[in-house]
Amino acid sequence: MLTLDSVSFQYGHRHALRAITASSDAQKVVALVGRNGSGKSTLLRLIAGLAVPTSGSLRWRGSVLSALAPARRALEVAYVAQRPSLSIDLMAREMISLGRFASRSRLDGAVRIDRAIEQMGLEGLRDRAFHELSAGEQQRCVVARALAQHETNGLLALDEPFSNLDPGELVRVFTVIRQRAKEGALVVIALHDLSFVDQVADTVWWLEHGSALAMGAPSDVLTTARLKEIFKCDFVRGPQGLTIEIRL
Amino acid sequence: MTSMTNMTTMTTMTTMTTMTTMTSMSKRSIIGIALLVALVLAAVIARLLIGRDPIAGGINFGWPVAEILVLRFGAVQSALVAGASLGLSGLLLQALLRNPLASPFILGLSAGAGLGATAALWILTASGAAAAPWMLIAVRGADGVIPGTIGSLGVLILVYALGRRGGRLDPLTLVLAGTVVATLCGACILLVQSLMPPASRGDSWMWFMGQVPEMPSRGTLFTAIMVLSIAFAASVRSAAALDVASTSDDEAESLGVSLRTLRVMLFVCAGTLASASVALCGPIAFVGFVAPHIARVVLGARHTALVPASLLAGAAVLVWADAIRQSIDIGAGRLPIGVLTALIGGPIFLIVLRSGRSRSGEWRC
Repeated sequence: MLTLDSVSFQYGHRHALRAITASSDAQKVVALVGRNGSGKSTLLRLIAGLAVPTSGSLRWRGSVLSALAPARRALEVAYVAQRPSLSIDLMAREMISLGRFASRSRLDGAVRIDRAIEQMGLEGLRDRAFHELSAGEQQRCVVARALAQHETNGLLALDEPFSNLDPGELVRVFTVIRQRAKEGALVVIALHDLSFVDQVADTVWWLEHGSALAMGAPSDVLTTARLKEIFKCDFVRGPQGLTIEIRL
Repeated sequence: MTSMTNMTTMTTMTTMTTMTTMTSMSKRSIIGIALLVALVLAAVIARLLIGRDPIAGGINFGWPVAEILVLRFGAVQSALVAGASLGLSGLLLQALLRNPLASPFILGLSAGAGLGATAALWILTASGAAAAPWMLIAVRGADGVIPGTIGSLGVLILVYALGRRGGRLDPLTLVLAGTVVATLCGACILLVQSLMPPASRGDSWMWFMGQVPEMPSRGTLFTAIMVLSIAFAASVRSAAALDVASTSDDEAESLGVSLRTLRVMLFVCAGTLASASVALCGPIAFVGFVAPHIARVVLGARHTALVPASLLAGAAVLVWADAIRQSIDIGAGRLPIGVLTALIGGPIFLIVLRSGRSRSGEWRC
């Protein structure tokens, strides 16, 4: 279980997060939504244990992740950064195999890497240089690396992992992530596509200016009135789910 | 004989550690390493065969008499150890700073090491009989390697701080800061030398050009071999972590690498290697920059192979350069080794500078 108890974070004097209190059980997909600069990426870094809250506490299964040594923490949480490093001279398979660094003594590493490659549809690209791949292919490689790292019942913290994917690849990648949640993982994922969030998330945490604006099921949080108030545009909730209404 | 024993010890340690890493190496890596070993052996043979006839003058190709062979073997030992140290130091700096332009010479570590060693010698000379025993051990015991390491690490910390823009390391600012700090260190070395009695100054001009001594100090050679062996073992042990460290800080930490520990340990190794090579041969330009790039071209980007390959490439480059310069008579004697390595390394640096960026604008390393 992930618990956040009045978590705040500051960059110097600037408050990035203010007193966030939330919790989620495993086997869920939690979507972090909010406008640009609302604090989603900062919260994901805190959840991944890469930064320490200025105040409050954040625990995963009772442990403070930021207090663990990186090698120990990597067994608990896999993280995909919003802007991963793209200029790496490794081959795609070598890049994905970095996910096994913390567990490199285990014998099932090659199997896990091949499985992640297959799940992300990267079989034909494994011997291509990572920096030569398209943006979408690089993004799938980075997600595959997180999947190779991720233990079945661990935490997956993903910062906009679908931003460069075409619809077919988006469905493929999300299907795998959803399957990981079913197998016991907790997935916390920052997303901008609210229609997609409405369809796939179990829980939505909405951040506004670093504070929690609303938390709950997508249909309760993503109301058309609230969306219009925040984004100043119209949304319609119909049989197809939530859609944005564009009037030209 | 002691030097030969040292060389054997280093070779054995290198081979043992390499054997351990070979299990995780690909076929390409093994072929590449074999190629580099052949290149080193060819360079050693060339250096032993090419020389200047001290009696008749002119270039002498062929197996020399025993007295000359000893001198050439001394030069081979110096160039092997200094070149390998520079190659490994350059690789560590390029990997840790994620900067393909980094090297101990370009970032000013070599100049910092020279300043540390020169300043220590000056303090020792000035204090004369009043010098404390610890001071004697620090300066004489390790033949300047200890104060040199302090100098090179001091420069590294300074350049690292100056190279940050907006909280991130900027590759070009880092290189610029290194160049300026190296120039400042060079000026300080001249200043310190002018404060010393003429007899203690040594041949500063030749030292600045870099030189491969034919009769290296046994103490310096032994210290350099020990430094190289320890740094090599630490680098081999950290090779997988270096692959991970080529990603961003957040990614590397989330994948399980403690960047702080890795950087402290391997920056100390890089600084000490630079210091040992300076103590042995003076500041030699571009070997530490070129060697990791040769290794990458031959073997790819994985550090399991790059660590031994950069060491071998550095040794091969310096021994070959020393062999080639024997056959270049500039009228006033042989071409200084530092001039030759700069003539080879400078254009390669410019090529990397022009082509090292990826589509995203980041530098590939």
